[in-house]
Amino acid sequence: MAENGAADGDKAYLWRLHRILATYVLGVLGFLALMTWAESRGLSRHWIGPIFLFLSVMVYAGIGVYGRTTDAEEYYVAGRRIPPMYNGMAAAADWMSAASFISLSGALYLQGFSGTPGHAGGLAYLLGWTGGFCLVAILVAPHLRAMGLYTVPDFFQVRFGGRWPRVIAALAAVVCSFTYVVAQIYGVGLIASRLTGVQFEIGIMLGLGGVLLCSFLGGMRAITWTQVAQYVVLLLAFLIPVSWLAYKQLGNPVAPLVYGTQISKIADMEAELLASPAEYEVVAAYLARARDYEARLENVEAALEDERIAIREKIRVLRAKNADVGLIVAASRELAALPRDATAARERWTKLMQENYERAQPLGGLPRHSHAYAGYPDGTPEEQAVFTDSRRNFLALMFCLMVGTAGLPHLLMRYYTSPTVAGARASVAWSLFFIALLYLSAPALAVLVKFEVMNNLVGSHFDALPNWIAQWARVDASLLSIEDMNGDGLVQFGEIHLGADLIMLATPELGGLPYVVSGLVAAGGLAAALSTADGLLLTISNALVRDLYFQAKPRNASPEQRVILTKFTLLAVALAAAFVAALKPSDILPLVSASFSLAASAFVPVMVLGIFWRGTTRQGAVAGMLCGLGLAAYYMLSHVPSLRATLPHWLLADGLWFGIQPISAGVFGVPAGLVSAVLVSWLTRPPPLRPPVRLEM
Amino acid sequence: MMQPPPPSHEAELAGPFPPDLHDVRHLQLKAGLLLLWALVSFVAMYFARDLEALVVGGWPLGFWIAAQGAVLVFIAIVVVYCWAMNRFERQDAAQADLPSAPPAPQSHPHG
Repeated sequence: MAENGAADGDKAYLWRLHRILATYVLGVLGFLALMTWAESRGLSRHWIGPIFLFLSVMVYAGIGVYGRTTDAEEYYVAGRRIPPMYNGMAAAADWMSAASFISLSGALYLQGFSGTPGHAGGLAYLLGWTGGFCLVAILVAPHLRAMGLYTVPDFFQVRFGGRWPRVIAALAAVVCSFTYVVAQIYGVGLIASRLTGVQFEIGIMLGLGGVLLCSFLGGMRAITWTQVAQYVVLLLAFLIPVSWLAYKQLGNPVAPLVYGTQISKIADMEAELLASPAEYEVVAAYLARARDYEARLENVEAALEDERIAIREKIRVLRAKNADVGLIVAASRELAALPRDATAARERWTKLMQENYERAQPLGGLPRHSHAYAGYPDGTPEEQAVFTDSRRNFLALMFCLMVGTAGLPHLLMRYYTSPTVAGARASVAWSLFFIALLYLSAPALAVLVKFEVMNNLVGSHFDALPNWIAQWARVDASLLSIEDMNGDGLVQFGEIHLGADLIMLATPELGGLPYVVSGLVAAGGLAAALSTADGLLLTISNALVRDLYFQAKPRNASPEQRVILTKFTLLAVALAAAFVAALKPSDILPLVSASFSLAASAFVPVMVLGIFWRGTTRQGAVAGMLCGLGLAAYYMLSHVPSLRATLPHWLLADGLWFGIQPISAGVFGVPAGLVSAVLVSWLTRPPPLRPPVRLEM
Repeated sequence: MMQPPPPSHEAELAGPFPPDLHDVRHLQLKAGLLLLWALVSFVAMYFARDLEALVVGGWPLGFWIAAQGAVLVFIAIVVVYCWAMNRFERQDAAQADLPSAPPAPQSHPHG
């Protein structure tokens, strides 16, 4: 498979690729210039969004159609002839999901250095998602590539033999990839609904069409080249607004080099806000609201009934006044949106109470931006406890994301497409480079946006709010809400609520860029979500078809028939994921982090042991995977509120272990997997082989 | 629960396959780089609050390491690993070439 013989042919192939890439980049830039010109000549905003959405999806689909294949080697591993640089680009696009592109800067904005005490985050995401590549490069990828496999579960069968290691690995791959793909499709829906103004659910379906056209027709080969195209779009979409903001604020477009000065300015402004009386009025208003919900929770049924009566009365009054239909519809919606019964009301009001309590803090509950960890190491015992807890959760989250990186099947699969083992190593290095291009700018963006908000938005008048605020608030109130809590007509920092998923998408408008850049950013978010969804869907369908269906018993099927079956499984999985995403399960980042913890616990201990310790047995591998995955899943599920309410208490883990948040369940899963794999391997070790000499005799 | 490997239609996937023994130099390289990896991520972040007080060129050091320094070191680690492994493999290939029969250099890559 290695193409050592035709060095000249390789070079020509590489040059042809470079030429195509250069033409493509120029094409994208030219298109941007054209759109900017058209906007200045009066092209309506209603058209710009759909044009970006439609054209970008068409380009990806075009590449998908061009790269269509039914050949197994091409479908599963792109013929193993992707040069490292392009493999790195594709891996970077595959890697940078909707979570990275849409939510990461937002999370850094909201969580600062290390997140709030109950919710670690911030730079842990950045470190986790880059540091994991060291593990991939050093411990995993080249070794897997050396074995010449097709999927990650293949490794478990080749290394350990038997059926169970592979079956468990395939199931684990499906579980963690599915959680992840739901998050991607949610991101697609969010962007498509913003760009085109259609409903969230229709947005999901539109984006899904784009995903399917690529992965359905061409498998790994088409996905690889689509991902390269998507990487270019998402890189431009990220760097243009960041550079613009940096140029606007600091006079230098290379944001990562210069944003240090803004950090100290933000620290000063934070100190000012912490001393401002208006901010304390806002805090008091939120506190009052939270107490109101708390009071309602004392007698949920009565409060719910009161609420219903109040809204019905409002509708009646509106009807009687022959008021605007819009107002009546809004009031009826409010009525329909009321919780159906007391349990639902209790759940929702508890959530609202917590949210309001969270916002009833200085700086709207946001930590100080560049300040590591909450609490004080030299303070009271309570503050010390907060400090250690916050630091421990930060390190735990970082650990889970790093180790999870080394275990996510859709990423590892990418390195199978490299022509040689050395190529696989180089591919990892290129991936990290291309990812870092974006990740070094993400904290810069968070800092610049925070400066922009604190400097310009805070203190402006409510009746002079920019347009984009109303537009986004209409898409989803949880993304953006801004409300005059203390009634002084001025925006206080505590009154602005920005959702993590919003900040990147709204950055161009915040910075006053032409609307074309908003379109580009949305297209970039779409590219990020689509590229990751492509890779994930392929992983899931491969695991289901190659690793489960055809391994259960040998079936007579030609490679082409298998590929076709994989394609239809992919279609089914994509529809299932879209269905789950349409339920809007939760924010993007927590979902993604959960799948990292699962992947870390299920795959990494056994995979690394399998590669580096010859004594690992099949039984040990099975035990390691089951214990790791089981413990991580158990710890996470024990803290899901709805399960806590339904399952008996003795079944669930009581409280947090060592104060670790459920999102970082991998901290327990990984050691559990490691220890159980080693122990069981040791117990079931085969009798020592006789020296070969005696066999000869 | 454990069964003997089922008769598989893909002969190369039939049985357990213990990995090749790893070259000691490779293991040392890996250990050294992983130590550096742990140092810039876990150790540095453990002391992030103490590093915050140091301000270098306008940057609080703790924030700079988390936002940029560590990522740059990660890239360096991966690049050094690539370079060193390629070097080892070239050395191995050169040594294998000294005796008369040159084996294919790609046949037993260690990763």
